[in-house]
Amino acid sequence: MKRFKIRFLPIDIVYTAEEGENLLDFAMSAGININASCGGFGTCGRCRLKLIEGNIEYRGQRESSGSETDKKEDIILACQSYIKGDAIIEIPIESQIDKEALREKIKTKVLSARYDILSLNTIKPNPIVFKKLINIKLATCEGMDDLSSVIGAIKKEIHKKDIKVRLHALQTLPSTIRDANGVITVTLFDTGHYWELIKIESGDTTKRQYAIALDLGTTTICGRLIDITEKEKDGPRILEELSDYNAQISYGDDVITRIMHTKKKGGLKRLHDAVVKTTNSIMEELIGASGIKKEDIMFIVAAGNTTMTHLFLGVEPTYIMIEPYTPCFLSPPVVRAYDIGINLSRETPIFSFPCVSSYVGGDIVSGIVGSGLNKKDGVNLFIDIGTNGEIVLTGPDWMLCASCSAGPAFEGGGIKCGMRAAKGAIEQIRIDPVTFEPTVLTIGHIKPAGICGSGLIDGIAEMFLSGIILQNGKINRDLGSKRIRQTEGVYEYVICYGKDTLTGKDIVITESDLDNLMRAKAAMFAGCKVLVDVSGIGLDDIDKIIIAGGFGHFIDPFKAQIIGLFPELPVEKFSFIGNASLHGATLCALSKTYAQEAQRVAQMMTNIELSNNKAFMDEFIAAMFLPHTNERLFPNVIKKIKNSIGDKSV
Amino acid sequence: MPFEIPKIKYTGKIREVTLGFGDRAIKIGGESCYPFYTFEGEMPHPPRVAFEIWDCEPKNWQEWARKPYEDVCHDPVLWAKKCTEVYGAEMIALELISADPNGMDRDVEEVIKVVKDVADAIECPLIVWGTANDEKDAVLLKRVSEACEGKNIAIGPISDKNYKQIGATAIGYNQVVMASTPIDVNLAKQLNILLGNLGVLDDKILMDPTSGALGYGLEYTYSVMERDRMAALTQEDTKLQHPIICNVAPEVWKIKETRLTKDEDPKLGDERARSIIIEAITAMTMLLAGADIVIMRHPDSINLIKDMIKELLA
Repeated sequence: MKRFKIRFLPIDIVYTAEEGENLLDFAMSAGININASCGGFGTCGRCRLKLIEGNIEYRGQRESSGSETDKKEDIILACQSYIKGDAIIEIPIESQIDKEALREKIKTKVLSARYDILSLNTIKPNPIVFKKLINIKLATCEGMDDLSSVIGAIKKEIHKKDIKVRLHALQTLPSTIRDANGVITVTLFDTGHYWELIKIESGDTTKRQYAIALDLGTTTICGRLIDITEKEKDGPRILEELSDYNAQISYGDDVITRIMHTKKKGGLKRLHDAVVKTTNSIMEELIGASGIKKEDIMFIVAAGNTTMTHLFLGVEPTYIMIEPYTPCFLSPPVVRAYDIGINLSRETPIFSFPCVSSYVGGDIVSGIVGSGLNKKDGVNLFIDIGTNGEIVLTGPDWMLCASCSAGPAFEGGGIKCGMRAAKGAIEQIRIDPVTFEPTVLTIGHIKPAGICGSGLIDGIAEMFLSGIILQNGKINRDLGSKRIRQTEGVYEYVICYGKDTLTGKDIVITESDLDNLMRAKAAMFAGCKVLVDVSGIGLDDIDKIIIAGGFGHFIDPFKAQIIGLFPELPVEKFSFIGNASLHGATLCALSKTYAQEAQRVAQMMTNIELSNNKAFMDEFIAAMFLPHTNERLFPNVIKKIKNSIGDKSV
Repeated sequence: MPFEIPKIKYTGKIREVTLGFGDRAIKIGGESCYPFYTFEGEMPHPPRVAFEIWDCEPKNWQEWARKPYEDVCHDPVLWAKKCTEVYGAEMIALELISADPNGMDRDVEEVIKVVKDVADAIECPLIVWGTANDEKDAVLLKRVSEACEGKNIAIGPISDKNYKQIGATAIGYNQVVMASTPIDVNLAKQLNILLGNLGVLDDKILMDPTSGALGYGLEYTYSVMERDRMAALTQEDTKLQHPIICNVAPEVWKIKETRLTKDEDPKLGDERARSIIIEAITAMTMLLAGADIVIMRHPDSINLIKDMIKELLA
């Protein structure tokens, strides 16, 4: 097998590749993240790289993917390119996945009364894995062994439960005991039925007890390092928090394309390795930044949707996507770091949240625990906006949940100029209703590179209010604005001309983007409506609406009501809690009462399947209108539109 | 205590729409109860039947469908006159078959001449039914609107793709529009809202819910019409309070059961009687679901339907 040198610019790193390797796969395995949302099928055209020099074999249909300018400039699609020789490749700005935006501490925009989430400092730690200091007498006569001494001491000093021992804890036991003259710290895992002895250290290490909480998102993985020791005073519980894009992104944007990828040869392993790799690198950074020792991390609590949980554990997810949508498991087993390649001491337990159904997963269970809705009075609606929109309606002693595939539109996927909420993404748009000239604001306040989900909601609401789009989500062709034009047969509105953008290309919202967004918002609203209808209550009976998801930070609830994404309820009823799933995982790491609560929540939730629900289809069509076909559901929005559009409403 | 039949409480009313002009103008709609539930409300204007005619010779019609019009169907003007004078038609529905871009694709102006001639030849209200091709109709029905100025005709089908072009000229020339949507309450309502936004007056809109023939999806049309009327009359859904028109004839006469002869399939029985009954049953079902106008083909089935309407309203 021939090997070649591939040099990537502008980061200027050289890697060795084998002949015939796919460029996208190679870049990914080398740790270079390139934008790709079609799973490498060559249809999204987003993994554009510039071939500075060298030999690349192009197997795709170049015509369909590249424009005339692309060909002149030697732009190639990474997913369609195969290595034939040494090469120098530049990653254009729009193909880089920008980690920086995720790393910035997101300032929560307080748009309404802040929801009072449980403060971590009020919780008395009672973790499922814990350390105990014990003193043992060393054997003085024949007929005794070290392990019996340890177990005897634990039972005598702490508890009388059954104790089982992991081999790894034994292997260096004799010297560990003797090093500190019988003073040892044991790490125990309370399985509910018995205690498991995981680790024995010499001396007192009980001041060093840490856990990691993970939110395994389809798009983003977030991790937290948590101090789980008992504290006399309020000390910080969360030592570090970090997130990174899930390395699986390069194999598809949503869970369905990922599941499809697992059916390819080696696909399941690739996806499992990718998520584990991202997790390990996040942990590495958490540990590095906090200065703690790796061996003091005692366990991990991970929350993911059903598919992500399967992939994290390396379990075949195939039948989740095939009717009758059967997951391999709903209650995941406790595994050890060693089982799935997590880079911690081998016996470290990893707990995953129980799931409710194929499409309502542990992240939602965790989100409910994190939001505290399981303990809250009244009727509340929990909406987690992501690639899959999950909705939970909670009442006294009952919970209904549903999942609707909103598609990746709200995260910028399937949108011509869409991007994730990273630097350069337009997040706010204002449009002058007379001149139709827009004003835009980007994340990081740099030249715009594209539009993120919150920018799309803002933009569509503004376009609607200014009369650029009609109630059916189509662009009004009769306004005579230069910004409304037709490109390759599709109508679009130009938000930024190329001279003002980071990429040099015009940033537009096209009619097909509008179609995707209309479908996404219709699915979310129809899901809420059906859930509320099934419960027998009315929308007005809802006391609070909790919006979760990284994306939820930026949504202006009124703009979201204008396009009919959220029900028209007083803005004070809306609260944004950010990553509820990560918060739930944190609570469960701190105390096993929350972990038990998560089990109860998962069992309590009644899943309403929407994919074959007739009422959902009906509500969906009704919601495919701005703001909605049933104007009575949005009286204030209608009033506002009438005022703002007036005579222009043609 | 004497038994009282429970009555439905109606909170809405269907709008009245006038078609045609002068003495022969006809009002439809105005119902304040479910179809023919005159014991609960009013049905001030009886439902009407429009005779279907084509703008070109109907070469592919069954012999038993052609027979009543054999002498006139080569000329739309004579055909229309025979319908009104011989068969007593109250309305004529002119189908612009020859304009269909997937068929003869006749030039717009040639078709317009036929429309104008027919419109001038009759006194009763005229319905002009386009090709259902969004682009062609956008041009064609615009011109129909202009050419029939002052005659208050109904033009359609109008879809969410071409409602702006056709709607705008219909406003300008004061014609009635037929808003056509594919068997869905919400879509019907959406198109009515869009037409309203455009400035089409409420009493200038008829709804076409899309018809299916007996055995070919009639029950879907039926349920949707039923839901339209429930929303309009009992749920105060003002955007659905429009009269309904069903283009029955082309649906019925294209199905296998009206095409096969007795010789081809003896089990099916006499083809003429069978076809007439299928057309009548389809139209009757739609009237019972809330249709205000049904477009039909055969004089015999039309007579059956007229008798039925008369009896139910007696």
